Amino acid sequence: MASSKDRKVAEMKFINRLRKFPFFAWLWFLLGALYFVLPLLATFEFSLSWDPAVPFKAYQRAFEDVRFWRSFIASNVFAIITIIACIILVVPTAYWIRLRLPQARRIVEFITLMPFVVPAIILVFGLIRVYSTPFTIPFTDIVFMKPLTQFKAGTNILIVAGYMVLAMPYMYRSVDTGMRTVDILTLTEAAQSLGASWFVIITRVILPNIRSALLSGALLTFAIVVGEVILASFLGVNAFGPYLFLLGQHRAYEPAALSFVSFLLTWIAMGMIQLVTGGQNQTAGGH
Amino acid sequence: MSYLSLANITKQFGDTVVVDNFNLEIGKGEFVSFLGPSGCGKTTTLRMVAGFETPTSGKILLDGADITDKAPNQRNVGMIFQSYALFPNMTVAQNIGFGLKVRKEADSVTKQRVSEMISLINLEAHANKYPYQLSGGQQQRVSLARALAIRPQVLLLDEPLSALDAKIRVSLRSEIRSIQKTLGITAIFVTHDQEEALSISDRIVVMNAGEMEQVGTPFEIYNFPKTRFVANFVGSLNTADAEVVDPAKGLVSVDGVQFTSAEGTKQRNKGDKIKVAIRPERFSFATQQHKDNVVEATIENITFLGSVVRIQIKIGNTSFNMDTFNNPFLELPKIGSKQQVTCSKEAVLVLDE
Ligand SMILES: Nc1ncnc2c1ncn2[C@@H]1O[C@H](COP(=O)(O)OP(=O)(O)OP(=O)(O)O)[C@@H](O)[C@H]1O
Ligand SMILES: [Mg+2]
Repeated sequence: MASSKDRKVAEMKFINRLRKFPFFAWLWFLLGALYFVLPLLATFEFSLSWDPAVPFKAYQRAFEDVRFWRSFIASNVFAIITIIACIILVVPTAYWIRLRLPQARRIVEFITLMPFVVPAIILVFGLIRVYSTPFTIPFTDIVFMKPLTQFKAGTNILIVAGYMVLAMPYMYRSVDTGMRTVDILTLTEAAQSLGASWFVIITRVILPNIRSALLSGALLTFAIVVGEVILASFLGVNAFGPYLFLLGQHRAYEPAALSFVSFLLTWIAMGMIQLVTGGQNQTAGGH
Repeated sequence: MSYLSLANITKQFGDTVVVDNFNLEIGKGEFVSFLGPSGCGKTTTLRMVAGFETPTSGKILLDGADITDKAPNQRNVGMIFQSYALFPNMTVAQNIGFGLKVRKEADSVTKQRVSEMISLINLEAHANKYPYQLSGGQQQRVSLARALAIRPQVLLLDEPLSALDAKIRVSLRSEIRSIQKTLGITAIFVTHDQEEALSISDRIVVMNAGEMEQVGTPFEIYNFPKTRFVANFVGSLNTADAEVVDPAKGLVSVDGVQFTSAEGTKQRNKGDKIKVAIRPERFSFATQQHKDNVVEATIENITFLGSVVRIQIKIGNTSFNMDTFNNPFLELPKIGSKQQVTCSKEAVLVLDE
């Protein structure tokens, strides 16, 4: 009696598992994956096909070009500066909003969404228009600064500022989410009663506790800055984006090689996010 | 004489008065509890001492200095939170040393103090663990050590035990009390648990709706509650409407049954409507020796509560609870029977209200 009952239960379980097996979910997932992977594979394959005798010729050529290194390094430096500037701006802002101004949250969230509403091309024209006139002391004609667009450091400042706008939604959201997972208010009060100043609280208590959120924001920012074309080309900055774009118009194989490499870099970055945030879950969870 | 003094403290949030004219003098090394129902302003008062809120009016003096408007990080006050509030990114030792580091104490001093504190709370084996690796009770001990490490002038505890389970709650509260006594530190302890307040405090401030109802030792609060609120909130209590019969003799009548109250009712007039209160454990069955307040009661119900047996009796038209200690040879009366019960004159409390 018992055994036939057991068998029935087992059968039911098997059928249930079949029913539960998300067949269509998997189908769509596979189709989606193919949609991403196929072009990438094709690009890779194409990048190898320049000279069958030397399979990585396209990569060699691409890496030999000194302009590649210049623009690539420049973009990396821009990315790092953008990330640091963003952290300095966003972390105290998000912190203060969580702590004292929860009403302002919606407004700030809306502002950070600007780059989705205003296309980069409009942003760059706006920047150029505003900052190509000299700075004067208000109500006089005394010029105290050349237009930012007319010298290199000025342009660099402009482009970093532009990148910050583009990175803002990612940075703000990840930092804000990071702060939601720890009890910012009580930790702040605990630190205050132990004698900590605002600076100490932010650098020693808040930042370390949102580091995985910071990292994911930073990596996204990195990817955006390194691949950005419009701001850089209109401001005339030799960044990696415009270089790749130019290369694509004149060469066949090297751009394929470089895009494959940048894809790889992005994926490694994503993997790192997963790794770091996964590790954080362990420390943050459980009581 | 007083070390911490709260003088005429009032706190308003918008139009609502949350703390109303709060006056309290706390001596050095004293352990004072704020006891009251949810929302009565305990936390708000504590946060004003910590500096997280500023009183709308009134002054806070600590060791003679006016700290009313000082920033929290400029006061030397330790705070313990219900949620422990340990820094998740730091080990036990780093958490405890945080306050000293912030104060730029020498490394040797910090190290010494941290190990002192860790042995004070008996967590030597856990010094290098992170908070998430500790139990709730251990985390709260770390937070106690962290607050004490800076040698605060006052220790503030806001329901530090509420998140713990019953056994640990009891053992940790005696640990807190013994550490507080050893260090001779002045402490304010917020709780809404009357047993906790009664067992741990030198003095209790009973609060209700932003006002102080009564301040006194646990003994005074329990045995001589001044108001109906205190009497009801602390311990269980029978209250009844009564009428003054003879102010000089302290004679009152509950539904026509007369009781004598030792407190007397001299300030009242004959015929005044008042409230009296009698604790359940003050009733007993009357014997030949009893003279005062021997009255007839009907047994309505009997409930077994472990160490205590609660008997519901009816005197006149009013129901009272009567508690007697349980013992295996206890002979309980039949439900519905009439019995002579008694209570002493001192047991009949006349409530202010
Ligand atoms: N920041 C604030 N703004 C407005 N009202 C507040 C604020 N903080 C507290 N209150 C109000 O003040 C009253 C007292 O709050 P408080 O936290 O002091 O109560 P409590 O006695 O600690 O209660 P509990 O036992 O629930 O912790 C409550 O009615 C609360 O809603
Ligand atoms: Mg409270």
